[in-house]
Amino acid sequence: MLKYIARRIGIMLLMIVLISTMIFFLFRAIPGDPTAYVVDPSMPQEARELMLERYGLNDSKWKQYTIFIKDLMKLDFGDSFFYGRPVGQIIAERVPATLILMLSAMAVAYLIGVFGGAWMAWRRGTRMESVGITFALIFRSAPTFWVGLMAILVFATKFRWFPPQGMRTAGYTGETFKEVFLTLDFLKHLILPTIVSGLYFIATPLLTMRNSMLEVLSEDYIEMAHAKGLRENTILYRHAARNALLPVVTAGALFIGSAIGGQVLLEVVFSWPGLGREIVQAVTRHDYPLAQGAFIIISAIMMFMNLVADILYGILDPRISYE
Amino acid sequence: MSLLEVNNLSIDYITGEGTLRAVDDVSFSLEQGESLGLVGESGCGKTTLAKSMMRLLPDNGFIKAGEIIFKGDDIVKKDKEGIRKLRLRDIAMISQSAMNSLNPVHTVGDQLVEGIRAHSNATKAEARKRAEEVFEIIGLEAKRLNSYPHQMSGGMKQRAIIAMALSLNPSLIIADEPTTALDVVVQDKILKKITEIQEHIKSSMIFITHDISVVSELCESIIVMYAGRVMEKAKTEVFFKTPFHPYSLGLKNAFPSILDIGEELISIPGAPPNLMEEQVGCRFKARCPYRTERCQKDEPQLKQVEEGHFMACHYPERIGEFTEKASKRETWEAVRERLIDEGGDGI
Ligand SMILES: Nc1ncnc2c1ncn2[C@@H]1O[C@H](COP(=O)(O)OP(=O)(O)OP(=O)(O)O)[C@@H](O)[C@H]1O
Ligand SMILES: [Mg+2]
Repeated sequence: MLKYIARRIGIMLLMIVLISTMIFFLFRAIPGDPTAYVVDPSMPQEARELMLERYGLNDSKWKQYTIFIKDLMKLDFGDSFFYGRPVGQIIAERVPATLILMLSAMAVAYLIGVFGGAWMAWRRGTRMESVGITFALIFRSAPTFWVGLMAILVFATKFRWFPPQGMRTAGYTGETFKEVFLTLDFLKHLILPTIVSGLYFIATPLLTMRNSMLEVLSEDYIEMAHAKGLRENTILYRHAARNALLPVVTAGALFIGSAIGGQVLLEVVFSWPGLGREIVQAVTRHDYPLAQGAFIIISAIMMFMNLVADILYGILDPRISYE
Repeated sequence: MSLLEVNNLSIDYITGEGTLRAVDDVSFSLEQGESLGLVGESGCGKTTLAKSMMRLLPDNGFIKAGEIIFKGDDIVKKDKEGIRKLRLRDIAMISQSAMNSLNPVHTVGDQLVEGIRAHSNATKAEARKRAEEVFEIIGLEAKRLNSYPHQMSGGMKQRAIIAMALSLNPSLIIADEPTTALDVVVQDKILKKITEIQEHIKSSMIFITHDISVVSELCESIIVMYAGRVMEKAKTEVFFKTPFHPYSLGLKNAFPSILDIGEELISIPGAPPNLMEEQVGCRFKARCPYRTERCQKDEPQLKQVEEGHFMACHYPERIGEFTEKASKRETWEAVRERLIDEGGDGI
């Protein structure tokens, strides 16, 4: 098992170098002048040259690339053109906000989805089942930014149940993790984006669970469980749902990729100061180092979550052995 | 009082294409300790009948009429919890698909323990002890309890299922083709083991198979089913000496005893009727070499032909003639030709 994890991490590192390379050249291919933001147009020409020199923008692409990779090995993503601070620092500030929102949305979606899906299969053919399916599919197909805007319009602007955007009320300052994230104010801000994001996520666990549950319910071992005189609840949870969970975990792992796309939009709509919103801004500002760094970190998070899903699968299914 | 008494039981499946009567007006009884063989071609309703004894029919299967009196109570009328308590403790099933009857994500031991504990206040350790005992009886090492199903061979899984079925000393064991998936040598050993234990704990058994030679070895009485109905029922020795029903005669041809080895097998041409359609007359009429006008119209009822021997044919008195002709190939060839004439494929 440990050997397997070590090998997976090795592969992950290799993948990150590859992805970084691709990202590096992709950004260089985007037309536009990164100095526009960094360098004030009113600056004298020498100052401008000095800046270009300092950021290495005059060097050949190849030289820039080797420096970039060398720094990457030291986990140094360079300085942001826009903020003039180390990219690592900025990302470290943004990651918690993104992860908290994403993980709470996934937790909500998976909890409701798994139990709801199991329940829908148990009562297949009822009206509630079709309502559930329709509901999940509507929120999967509706554009997230639209649902987000509507939610803000209705629940924040009209009913004033939740603050419309951001992560905390203006004027509130906090420095430590505890001061920023473990407050009631933060929780209030978290609810609406979590719901919107969770609604988008929910189709995957709900429908996968329902289908896989329906399949499992027709298995011989379920009949056997009945023949043993087990109680309904034992059969439902210990035998049916437990086995039906396996494909849900796999689907979840595959889903993480598209979840991140949705997350970016969501952060923009809710002005959530996370990594997703930062990426959008960095790209429009041609802030290469920051955008690169953010993309690399997001890829790393995705790969890590996939690894977690695989390990979870191994724990859930004794037939899988990681040799 | 008999342990089990089934009276006029009829079971329907509701499907997209219509209603199918899988079991039609079946009656029989089973004494304490008796073992009964239930035989018949694929699709004649054996599994359906067996499952109804435990109320394990699929969602689209319904008991339309009749009663199943087990130890004095009607199983058809019992509520869910009453049925649940009956399963495994009083009536245990060794199912047709034992290979897939173990849940792949739990150890075999956990699955035995769970069954035992669903019917008693036994602690985990006590249940585990019992599981070890039954494993020993069935010829599996106790340490196998820690295995997952995928770590066991087919024969071991089958034994584990049997051990599970026997774990609470049930009064009735229903074995539905318990060894079809195994090779012949293992089959034989396992069958011997099942009957040995069944005799030891003095439980009754319903043994389902389409191989009537197995019944002759293992069971005291036999029921021959065809298209959802009982065609003949008798003590095994009597049945194998003098089967009465033309279908039984045909079946016996298809499974000759060891003495007849070398003789060619004669099978019954044709296939059972489509149970979706309403049945008029005798169900065996299309394939019966001796059918008459009467068989086309009247459905024969089960009647006693000698003490404890019942069968459903209009012509018990022609038994001598039937028996003689049934052993001749021409008799069945004629049926095949007749089937082809009538537009069937005569297989
Ligand atoms: N769930 C179901 N829905 C509809 N029809 C069914 C269902 N289960 C069985 N049947 C039909 O009922 C009839 C009896 O089936 P059953 O499984 O009891 O036969 P069997 O004698 O056990 O056959 P086999 O020897 O192949 O196991 C068959 O015609 C079958 O097609
Ligand atoms: Mg069957």
